Amino acid sequence: MNLNPRRIALTLAAPVLAIAVAFVITSLVLAAVGDPVGTVWKVLLDEPRPRTLVNIVNSATTYYIAAVAVAIGFKMKLFNIGVDGQYRIASFGAALVAGYGWLPGPLNIIFAMLVAMLIGGAWAGIAAWLKVTRGVSEVISTIMLNTISAGLVGWGLRSWGQRPEGSNSRTTTPIPEGSRLEGIALIPDAPNRVYTLILLALLVGVAYWFIINKTRFGFDLRAAGASETAAVASGVDYKRMIFISIVASGAVAGLVGMPAFFGLDHAYGMNFQEGVGFVGIGVALLGRNHPVGIAAAALLWSWLEKSSDGLQLQAGVSPALVYIIQGSILLAVVVAYEVVARIEKRLEQSQVSRQLQAREATEGAPA
Amino acid sequence: MRHSLLKVAALSSAATLTLAACGGSDSDTDATSGGGEGGEGTDVKACLAYDVGGRGDQSFNDSAAKGLDRAKDELKIEAEEVEASQGENDAAREDRLNQLVDAGCTNVIGVGFIYATAMGNAAKANPDVQFAIIDDASEASAGDNVAQLTFAEHEGSFLVGAAAAMKSKSNKVGFIGGMDVPLINKFEAGFEAGAKEVNPDIEVQTKYLAEDGSGFADPAKGQTAAEGMFDKGADVVYHAAGGSGAGVFKAAKAAKKMAIGVDSDQAKTAEADVQDVILTSMVKNVDVAVFDNIKATVDGEKQSGNIVFDLKAGGVDYATTGGKVDDIKDKLEEYKQKIIDGDITVPEK
Amino acid sequence: MPLARRAGPLLTLRLLFPCSTGPRGAPRVPGTARPSLTRRPTISSQAPTKSSDGSTRAGDVAVRLEGITKRFPGVIANQDVGFSVRRGTVHAIVGENGAGKSTLMKILYGVQRPDEGRIEVDGAKVDLRSPSDAIDHGIGMVFQHFMLADNLTVLENVVLGAEKLHGIGAGARTEINRISDEYGLGVDPDALVADLGVGARQRVEILKVLYRGARTIILDEPTAVLVPQEVDELFDNLRELKAEGLAVIFISHKLDEVLAVADAITVIRRGRTVETVEDPSSITSRQLAEMMVGSELPSPAIEESTVRDQVVLATRGLSLAPAAGGSRDLLHDVTLDIRAGEVLGIAGVEGNGQAELVEVIMGMREPTSGTVVLDGTDISDWDVRQIREAGVGYVPEDRHRHGLLLDAPLWENVVLGHQTQEPNVKNGMIQARAAKDDTARIVEEYDVRTPGITVTAGSLSGGNQQKLIIGREMSHHPKVLVAAHPTRGVDVGAQAAIWDQIRQARREGLGVLLISADLEELIGLSDRIRVILRGRVSGTFDPDQVTSQELGSAMTGAGKESA
Repeated sequence: MNLNPRRIALTLAAPVLAIAVAFVITSLVLAAVGDPVGTVWKVLLDEPRPRTLVNIVNSATTYYIAAVAVAIGFKMKLFNIGVDGQYRIASFGAALVAGYGWLPGPLNIIFAMLVAMLIGGAWAGIAAWLKVTRGVSEVISTIMLNTISAGLVGWGLRSWGQRPEGSNSRTTTPIPEGSRLEGIALIPDAPNRVYTLILLALLVGVAYWFIINKTRFGFDLRAAGASETAAVASGVDYKRMIFISIVASGAVAGLVGMPAFFGLDHAYGMNFQEGVGFVGIGVALLGRNHPVGIAAAALLWSWLEKSSDGLQLQAGVSPALVYIIQGSILLAVVVAYEVVARIEKRLEQSQVSRQLQAREATEGAPA
Repeated sequence: MRHSLLKVAALSSAATLTLAACGGSDSDTDATSGGGEGGEGTDVKACLAYDVGGRGDQSFNDSAAKGLDRAKDELKIEAEEVEASQGENDAAREDRLNQLVDAGCTNVIGVGFIYATAMGNAAKANPDVQFAIIDDASEASAGDNVAQLTFAEHEGSFLVGAAAAMKSKSNKVGFIGGMDVPLINKFEAGFEAGAKEVNPDIEVQTKYLAEDGSGFADPAKGQTAAEGMFDKGADVVYHAAGGSGAGVFKAAKAAKKMAIGVDSDQAKTAEADVQDVILTSMVKNVDVAVFDNIKATVDGEKQSGNIVFDLKAGGVDYATTGGKVDDIKDKLEEYKQKIIDGDITVPEK
Repeated sequence: MPLARRAGPLLTLRLLFPCSTGPRGAPRVPGTARPSLTRRPTISSQAPTKSSDGSTRAGDVAVRLEGITKRFPGVIANQDVGFSVRRGTVHAIVGENGAGKSTLMKILYGVQRPDEGRIEVDGAKVDLRSPSDAIDHGIGMVFQHFMLADNLTVLENVVLGAEKLHGIGAGARTEINRISDEYGLGVDPDALVADLGVGARQRVEILKVLYRGARTIILDEPTAVLVPQEVDELFDNLRELKAEGLAVIFISHKLDEVLAVADAITVIRRGRTVETVEDPSSITSRQLAEMMVGSELPSPAIEESTVRDQVVLATRGLSLAPAAGGSRDLLHDVTLDIRAGEVLGIAGVEGNGQAELVEVIMGMREPTSGTVVLDGTDISDWDVRQIREAGVGYVPEDRHRHGLLLDAPLWENVVLGHQTQEPNVKNGMIQARAAKDDTARIVEEYDVRTPGITVTAGSLSGGNQQKLIIGREMSHHPKVLVAAHPTRGVDVGAQAAIWDQIRQARREGLGVLLISADLEELIGLSDRIRVILRGRVSGTFDPDQVTSQELGSAMTGAGKESA
């Protein structure tokens, strides 16, 4: 929209500032506990092996979709903490359905994804309904629904899952070979492949950008997020908007597990990734709810995460260090955005008044 | 959740099935990738991939670490250890195992069944490295170079079940499981068999805390369940519920009844104020499995297939800390011998 | 700008000499950082004029500002401002919105610190770091929005935060009664604030600052919330205050009021002092306005009636049930007709149902009973969007809350409220290019002063925001314009422009529902004026005949209603 250099600089300033602050905090922590600061940063900044690189991209794919799900809520000033639960229950449901393999190959994949969106949306819809009709804060209800979904999935696994001989883990029936996605050989020399459904993440990102920025619906959504009162006065049905955005957020959350499911796990079990929804919150914050920003944030997040093993092996530091870095980045981000936003506002106001003064000086006194 | 599951998993059915599927006794002492630089004694570099929590969790991971430390001391091997991050998937786990191989490890041990799929894949990619996994014997992790180390939890549970029956005055004992899954059913089956062996008329109350892993990390739930059992007349309650066990001990303390711990010798590791209610614990010696596996490699032996650590192998046992079972120790030893000798076969379900 | 330089307005020079050498109170030691700290109890327990050490006297300079400059990044809020306020006078500070009045008062009340300049209280230089510093120096402020707890009594409100002065019991009550009597405030310490009217609450606020020992009182737009009768009462109170030797700083942009009450007037424009008028009787409000805006004021001319026969908006027996806990209908049986080309003014004290009336007409609230008819169609159960699409323009009372997205660019704000209408949207897609072109046109036609259409709405001044809103609403050719306080908080220049635009639209057949608290605006713009009181609409007045006093009476329910 507004691509002047100052704006771009300011937009980038917050994450850069945040990362710098995180760098300093982490270094101080390292120094305080007597860990080798230099080695840690060297390991962290080393180019990862191709195999790890693929894993970083794959992880980022998952986080990206999760963060978009969270960002849809954020655009409306809604805090969908329930992305994790929606992801979990939708992944389970989709895995169950896909495992039956009612439809052949790719159709089965598409069908499963639709089921995932449906379940994720419906699960979030409970929170939406509670919010719209009963005024229950979505923060509270989604947290509770997270817990409930964990129980439901556990019960579901027990009811419909299977336990391979000799294993302690229950899973759903693995999907048929024909529905497994081999992946894309995106990174040379890597023994593993990038999830095929990175394309899904791409699609989700583009759709998110398009709907939010280009459609009337997106305009209404942003208006409602920016100012409930102004949106209502402009004719936006605020409750309907809340409902739709929470459900949409849940539907996208339902897709979060799909790339890993079809590209890696092929069945839902205890080894399925947990906590993705919470990572999504951090990534969305870090990426400023912007489709490109979220992508960068997701890559950064998963790059840090994958450094954990290397840090332990090569620098001999605790994996908790990675949490410290992530945590301090997030903390710094929240502060930095606030600071930068204020500077931005002030700069703009002063620019406006300066330009007007300059104009009036040439045109004479105002009417 | 899986973490707690691991804590609870325990004990072995019988024999040490050392399936020497692939012969070459020297195949893994040399010719490994990376740099297993010569230690004092051998070229073996043993590496542990922990689950979340890692060394210092005072539980499952720590027990494995103990085995590694012992191997370092006694066998003079190189060692390396890495712990998992929260919320990761199989790709991350596999990458961890591969990084260990890259770092020159000749032995890679995955602590916990969560590594099953990852280990299966990593083992195929690195046929020269000896892998081992704790608590898993599934197809997913199987391979010529993978040792699947499991425990006969039901045998250990049998002994504590017998102890409970002998100590019970009300003829009612209880079992609290964290989650109703086959793994935990094993504990229940052994416990009940042990109790009934002593007293065929004894009543065994059973309660599972949750449908999911939360049952292993919810002391409040554990406490409520135990209180219910004590109210209904039980006077000894055995838990296989990980962290929720703390609540069971608390309830026992309040009701002035007894409880039985699990995994480690909980009369030593539980909160100090409840240690005195712990009659005994069903101990699962992960360290033994880890040490044995490393020792086999050092001895030039290549392990693969399911190796069950049972009573005979010292993989499971009952604890005597606190002296509360001293008076019945002879009888318990008798049962133990019978199981080892095969005179008693403990059911798994 | 060097600190010592005393530039600018003539006024300060005139005032400086007699006052800077005035007698000093003993405790006042020039140069000490906070000279008055130890004096606090003395001040509060004794009326200033009676103080035995004779520290103050009517005519002495109470507060003097000299060379005050305050810069915010890129903006100079105040530049080299200076004036003196003497004891026993009401000193008015006038200026347009955004002229720098409020920054100046924040500096004087210790909320902000000047970058340059000197503040003297009773001849001694002071450094005001916080409001409590200001209070310590005898400077108190009464804000436009009262800061009183409704559920507490007057006594409790007054002692809240000042418990150390006279305790919370009999001592405090005695002191409150003393102050109340002395300054003729007529405040009952045991009345519940919730039961008090606006004027009485304002007196409580004044009492609060007097109780804390203030001898210089700043009143920020005190008449904005008052009806004419209450304004007169306030002015009586102010006269009492000055008779007792206090200095009153009175901030306003209502020029007639200023001329009526002030003993001296300082005009501020764009952060600078234009002039201090020592003798208000020597100038007219028109001259004063010209000083404020720096140019000739456009004159509001009464025009020919453009009212046509066709009724464009009508309400029939609109009622709105009371909110939870209330007992009186928020709206009761409101029946109005607005014809094409007619401006119907609704006069009333705020909070008598105006906001509810607008919300019901705009579809934001469902009436309990009654109907709203737009151009012959019953729109009672339509939603906001349908009503807007059908041709009802809306200028909300609070443009920041209801009219704009402050952080969004101007062009998106032009789309707001018309996001289903061309040229902004086609087939559900935002047409950014077309919307931007339309915004550029509005900015041009409605004289919105902005460097561009991509700056955020929040960076514009209030007047320009309002012009943008008016332009936006007019661009979609409404049949009816619902305008609530269209020139509130808007500078004189923009006010004139907005009035012109409303008149222009009226000539073209627009029906306008004008809700305002500004009687001048109502009288100047309306074809008919009706009065709303406690949710009921009563009385119809001809703006050519009616006086402010008559309207004021009707608004408070005191007077008789005319036909």
